[in-house]
Amino acid sequence: MRFSAEKVLGLYMLAILGITLIGIVVLTPDIGSFSHKAAANYYLESGLQDTGSANIVNSIVWDYRGYDTLGEETVLFTAALGIFLMIRKKA
Amino acid sequence: MLGIDVIIKTVSRILFPFILLIGAYIALYGHLSPGGAFPAGAIIASGFVLLIIAYTERDVEHTFTKHELIDIKSIAGILLIGLIISISHKSRVEFLSAQTALSLWSGGFTPFLNMVGGFMVATALVFIIYTLVRE
Repeated sequence: MRFSAEKVLGLYMLAILGITLIGIVVLTPDIGSFSHKAAANYYLESGLQDTGSANIVNSIVWDYRGYDTLGEETVLFTAALGIFLMIRKKA
Repeated sequence: MLGIDVIIKTVSRILFPFILLIGAYIALYGHLSPGGAFPAGAIIASGFVLLIIAYTERDVEHTFTKHELIDIKSIAGILLIGLIISISHKSRVEFLSAQTALSLWSGGFTPFLNMVGGFMVATALVFIIYTLVRE
């Protein structure tokens, strides 16, 4: 019984995909046991001294990652503009 | 006079300033308690939704026009860009050291950013609502 080249290639790719998925499932750390917490610990320890605001979430959103929030506002502005341009009275 | 029931109209007319007040509170105290710019803007926009449901959108747009919305949004956007760029500036440290932690006057630029961002979100959502209600 002969397989065509496409079928053999498909089997190989399927094997690679399966091994990758099994590896991901096996190697994923359990929930809550992630050991690389450097950024989170830094925010919790020195967030009040750095930004002066008691709300850590707000200080991260508006202070540590201000440019990201500026991009979010730009996305919101672009969404409003796009809706206004798509749905308006035809001239 | 279009719109629905007199009771709903009266209640929404009385309730509307308080909704704006809650939105302003959440934006002003965003650096101390849960909240911030995005929930504040959503609450303010929900107040406008209540007005639009009770009255027609023609009456609401007559008192608070799209041009005013665009003006507020432009000013708030320029202020937001300026504040976020000045976060990395040296004057922020002096500004921060002049404040007392855990009080209303704290948080560096974050209270101003909360207010300005709240204006941005509220105007964007009200703009979307105005446009979508028309259809």
